[in-house]
Amino acid sequence: MNGIREIPVAFGPAQSLFGVVATPANGERGKVACLMFNADATHRVGSGRIHVKLARQLAERGVTSLRFDLSGRGDSDAAYGAEHALTQGVQDLQAAMDQLEAMLGIHRFIVIGLRTGARPGLGLAVADARVIGLLMFDGFAFPGRRSRWDRRLRRMAAIAARPSAIAGTLQALARRPPSRAAVAASAPFGPDRPEITMALFRRSMTQLAERGVAVLLLYSGSVHVVDHDRDQLGPLAHEPGLREVDYRFMPGIDQGLISIAAQQSFMAVVGDWVLRLTSRRATARPERLARPALPVERVVLRTA
Amino acid sequence: VTPLLFGPASRQLFGLFHPAHGDTHVDRAVLICPPFGQEAIRSHRLWRTLADRLARMGYAVLRFDYHGTGDSPGDDADGEFEGWRRDVCTAHEELHRRTGARRIVWLGARLGASLAVLAAKSGRSDPARLVLWDPIVSGRDHLQWLRERHVEALERSFCVPDPAWRRQLASDPRAFTDELLGFAISPTLLLQLRNLGADTLQLTALHETLVLAADDDASVRRWCESEAARRMPVRYSPFKHPLQWSAEPQPGDALVPVEALQRLATFVT
Repeated sequence: MNGIREIPVAFGPAQSLFGVVATPANGERGKVACLMFNADATHRVGSGRIHVKLARQLAERGVTSLRFDLSGRGDSDAAYGAEHALTQGVQDLQAAMDQLEAMLGIHRFIVIGLRTGARPGLGLAVADARVIGLLMFDGFAFPGRRSRWDRRLRRMAAIAARPSAIAGTLQALARRPPSRAAVAASAPFGPDRPEITMALFRRSMTQLAERGVAVLLLYSGSVHVVDHDRDQLGPLAHEPGLREVDYRFMPGIDQGLISIAAQQSFMAVVGDWVLRLTSRRATARPERLARPALPVERVVLRTA
Repeated sequence: VTPLLFGPASRQLFGLFHPAHGDTHVDRAVLICPPFGQEAIRSHRLWRTLADRLARMGYAVLRFDYHGTGDSPGDDADGEFEGWRRDVCTAHEELHRRTGARRIVWLGARLGASLAVLAAKSGRSDPARLVLWDPIVSGRDHLQWLRERHVEALERSFCVPDPAWRRQLASDPRAFTDELLGFAISPTLLLQLRNLGADTLQLTALHETLVLAADDDASVRRWCESEAARRMPVRYSPFKHPLQWSAEPQPGDALVPVEALQRLATFVT
């Protein structure tokens, strides 16, 4: 690992959170750092070790990162309190930023939230003005009726053309459905109704746009095979706050990043976006953003 | 829990040391040899929970990532048996250095169990006992199993799967061998996997070995019988558990099956 330094760190209340800081070895750690954390129940290294690979690639290009486990996942202890999972996630992310501020003097952050990680990522970006960039990979999707039907028809056609898949589909149908708790834990905004999730997403994105937070919405071939016009945003696609958001549909990769080619495509897009953002911010005025972020309690109250 | 980077400067390993609570078993410690690839990710929280439990019972525990895996330095493609075998011995030495324990039990799972056998055979370290959980005793069968899981994972993950994947799997034995479930496989590792078999996986008489595997795992049972026939001190214990080694961890899955955890803690102490 030439040119990279990795430092394991315990941080947060009672040092209960655990992660690894990856930073350029030459001491040029940059002014913006990336946060990476759990997607679903996978620990901090990510599916196919993607967070390790991305963190090292970013460090080679001069960008520091902290990959870590949220409370109760990977090597982090379970939280002592009884906070809502989203509140706890946001607090954990804030503890990660505090750690990098104290350790390296970095005050600006890009949050990389994969799949269920998009949920606390968005909560943090709304709640904390230190966030200047937010990437959500297969996080929130509100495809319209046309897109949903198109997806359904294509999947049915694929199944009809592949008899072996029928058996697989029947097996999947025969499996016991996941518990309500499991569904709630995996839903982007918890067990809220879709219209509530959509309203919250719209409002959050408007706030981020007003604050000038850069957002990249990245969607994979797990959600669809085609995308005509920001289809995953459905009725929100051209609303204020979402019009200017970076939106990338990558049908050749899947959300599990199962193939090495998918990982490389993902890292190329994310790496370039992060570098564009860090270089843009390096030339921007250093003062805090004009509009203050929301306290975390307000963010969570609206999702409960 | 103390995070560590240990080993020679040219091949540092990432580890997590769980010091024993109290001094009930100062002479004993446990080294966990994790599986490889997706299986390591799938079982990660289980090792953490087991290590916590063992530490509370008074046993120091070291968990670590082989070179090129987890948080350890190195790339996927650096992975190969010889280096990983040495990594097990390096981790053993680190645990001994930290605890002074004379009786260090190695708990290896899947390919980690096979590596533990190879490392013990090398004679560089002196584990008191091996506990092997679902060891891989036929690399060729394991490779085929992983190829099938890889294609299944692709089919599950993509919205509309490519039918060519399954055709390739059936018709081309080289297809899906240079990467499996998100991890690159080097040509060296591929060859070593293909050559891994009961004849290359030999126990020694210097330590006892306990093998934990499902009742219906005939290949492991046969391997145990052949090692016992060589008068190796090996014992087989049926071990059923709900952990799906290759699956992507999902909320609600049995990430840490309680019964398996309890039995593992009993087996290694």
